[in-house]
Amino acid sequence: MRALLTGNEAVARGAYEAGVKLASGYPGAPSTEVMESISSYKEVYSEWSTNEKVALEVAIGASFAGYRSFAVMKTVGLNVASDALMFAAGSQINGGLVIVVSDDVGRSSGDDYNDCRFYGQNAAVPILEPSDSQEAKDFMKLAFEISEEFSTPVILRLTSVTCKTKSLVEVDESYVYQQVENHKYDFSFQRTMITTMMTGIKNPTSPKLAKYYNNFTGTMRKLEDESNQLDINKLELDSKEIGVITAGVAYSYVKEALPEASVLKLGMINPLPRKLIKEIASYVKTLYVIEEGQNVLERNIKNIGVNVIGEELFPRFPEMIRLTPDIIEEKIIPGITKNKPREDVPFRLPMNCAGCSHLFVYHVLKKHKIKASIDITCGIIGAFPHVDAFRNAKCMGSAIGVAHGYNVLTKNPEQYVAVIGDGGFWNTGISGLINLVYNSGNSTVIIMDNSCVAMTGGQCCPSSGFGINYKPENNIEISDICKAVGIKDVAVIDPYNVDELEDVILKAVKSEGNSVVVVKKECITAFKPKRTGKCQVKQDSCSKCKLCLKIGCLAIERKVNAEGDEVKINGDICMGCKLCTNVCKRGAIEYVQE
Amino acid sequence: MCKNEGKNLIICGVGGQGIVLFGKILGQFLINKGYELKISDVVGLGQRGGNVECHFRYSNKPIMSPLIKVGEADYIISFEQTETLRNAHYLKDDGLIITSTFEMSSPTVNVEIEKDMEGNKTEIIKELGRNTFIIDVAKYSDTDINISQMANVIMLGFYSSFMGYDDSEMIEVMRKTINPKFIDSNIKAYELGKQICNEQKVAVVK
Ligand SMILES: Cc1ncc(C[n+]2csc(CCOP(=O)(O)OP(=O)(O)O)c2C)c(N)n1
Ligand code: SF4
Ligand code: SF4
Ligand code: SF4
Repeated sequence: MRALLTGNEAVARGAYEAGVKLASGYPGAPSTEVMESISSYKEVYSEWSTNEKVALEVAIGASFAGYRSFAVMKTVGLNVASDALMFAAGSQINGGLVIVVSDDVGRSSGDDYNDCRFYGQNAAVPILEPSDSQEAKDFMKLAFEISEEFSTPVILRLTSVTCKTKSLVEVDESYVYQQVENHKYDFSFQRTMITTMMTGIKNPTSPKLAKYYNNFTGTMRKLEDESNQLDINKLELDSKEIGVITAGVAYSYVKEALPEASVLKLGMINPLPRKLIKEIASYVKTLYVIEEGQNVLERNIKNIGVNVIGEELFPRFPEMIRLTPDIIEEKIIPGITKNKPREDVPFRLPMNCAGCSHLFVYHVLKKHKIKASIDITCGIIGAFPHVDAFRNAKCMGSAIGVAHGYNVLTKNPEQYVAVIGDGGFWNTGISGLINLVYNSGNSTVIIMDNSCVAMTGGQCCPSSGFGINYKPENNIEISDICKAVGIKDVAVIDPYNVDELEDVILKAVKSEGNSVVVVKKECITAFKPKRTGKCQVKQDSCSKCKLCLKIGCLAIERKVNAEGDEVKINGDICMGCKLCTNVCKRGAIEYVQE
Repeated sequence: MCKNEGKNLIICGVGGQGIVLFGKILGQFLINKGYELKISDVVGLGQRGGNVECHFRYSNKPIMSPLIKVGEADYIISFEQTETLRNAHYLKDDGLIITSTFEMSSPTVNVEIEKDMEGNKTEIIKELGRNTFIIDVAKYSDTDINISQMANVIMLGFYSSFMGYDDSEMIEVMRKTINPKFIDSNIKAYELGKQICNEQKVAVVK
């Protein structure tokens, strides 16, 4: 049967058909759906872990126990998990161990510039890259086989378009799940231990030493050799003029834009098949490398002494944030012209949902000119110019550490406040909080407890009250943790009581020593609360001062018509949270019960 | 089974308009007809209020790129007029636009860090000089259908009627895709879309 699957769903299906026993991960676009999909298979144990490093460690443990296992994360997550990867690489592997990593390239706006291939190369582990859903499924199965045969973790690299594109995939309906086990080693040591033993003791005779000997460089060389015969590395010789080395979804763009070109399609991008590369290089006159993300393939190919055109034609920034078939045609086909997008269409910056708790915190911070650093959360929208509530925004889990570092050095009585989501708090922020106590800091931390990891679509976290392996007795209250680690001043507040929220935050900021304010309100999108009323603008009282537009609420709009500006509230999406009635000094916004 | 060779569709609008569901239903309908298919959902930056574009390709031959090339879309089906204009360059010379007059102002325009386009967007769309169907969904706001929540299925009804698709087959797919709790209201919205299409047999051409 052929089923319409996204790349993400196909990865999950491939893992299932490979007899995987454990899936762990941490949410992150564009691969969040892999976990959501695998957790629907009852035979597979799955978990959202507290962060990516833990997720990978869990998969490493399950693999050591002999079961096929995988961890899934986006590449910024692999930044967090990279230490776990570096120390799994080169160690003895039992059950196949795959790390599914997604690079967020190719989004309609922006690119986080992280390219997971750098990690794969640094760790010296194989990397596979599928170009559509069918390959996503097939390569996932192959990844487990390579992992076991060559005793190495394998990275499956996905990029946004592959993750998010649905296409038809052959699914074997008669497949009956069977877990696959592989138990070769009773020991698995990190490679520094292995190299210490192997390079130190040159003539091993004691049987006690055997378990430390693992010729991981030899296995990688063997894989490099075999990569020239691997089915997923395909040489399609055609035109003698133009040749392209490519991988992933870029392959489908190349086939569309340059149907006559000779193509080397790499299914495995680390290690590289040297013979195939040299073969295409000697066959064509001009050889290009077309790849999504950074110019990783290009550099590696140049390193083996083959001259290719890449970056010089496809500069990454600002020209080519996103690769498309159009870009390939424009760069390579002489004289081609393309329709251009209009320049006068306004850009859409992201907004928080109407009624979102983050808006209330922006409001209080701005009203009292409190300086704050924001974490990676839906609250980061507050750092964009249309809201303008924060002065500092860094990586996930960072806000507390950043605020502490600032506060500990400045004599400034105005303290930087840290604002962090519940997801970010559990991910790595909690270490920052313990550090505050440990080093006798003096900072205020606002934790946005919206009962989920919202920005990625409302996944669970340790305090969310639901989850894949949830038990009510194991739910952890954030305020309890804060008190337990030694924060004396902890307040919990419902932000819809705006006046109280304001008092609590001001008190916390002024207090001596560390303080935490837990802002508790469920995420609107994930929990879809029923509203009891909505707000509207009384046009005859409105002075068009536009203060309400600065709240950042999606429901409040400015329309320009013949009479000039009109400020309106979209009644379809207003949640009736009344924040705007608090902001409007002229009382022009009224709340109407439903 | 496959009546035509296939088409390239750009389906666009803003977050929350149900574009992904539109693609899902139409996709399943076309699979049943035996087509090859690639549907790529490209969601813009971050959260709510961002633009959403779906590149939807079906063909009786294998499809390579999931992204449609500029100037190669047969139809633009748009749920929001600013997005119609953002994507207009994708249209073929003889391509067709089906657009709602719904408009959600951009946050950057709201707070005046960016200027809006000059003039009325519906008029600008007409001036593109393409075959265009303009659907004023708000005109039907006094029906018992929640227009803002059902815009996707209304558009589906319109498109289905325009393409001459078999309603019972499409409704069958809807039944399999949509939560049974909401299916009746969705079928009503679908019927409304068909009715709008019948009222508006001729496209606006400038
Ligand atoms: C290390 C890392 N992992 C994952 C992500 C992807 N990510 C972006 S926002 C976000 C959700 C944050 O959730 P939370 O802190 O609860 O804030 P909320 O969105 O709920 O306000 C995630 C997981 C990331 N940016 N960095
Ligand atoms: S998804 Fe939830 S947390 Fe994010 S903006 Fe919407 S309501 Fe706020
Ligand atoms: S804050 Fe009040 S007076 Fe000012 S624009 Fe908004 S509704 Fe009108
Ligand atoms: S009450 Fe005001 S601030 Fe709250 S959702 Fe409605 S328009 Fe937005």
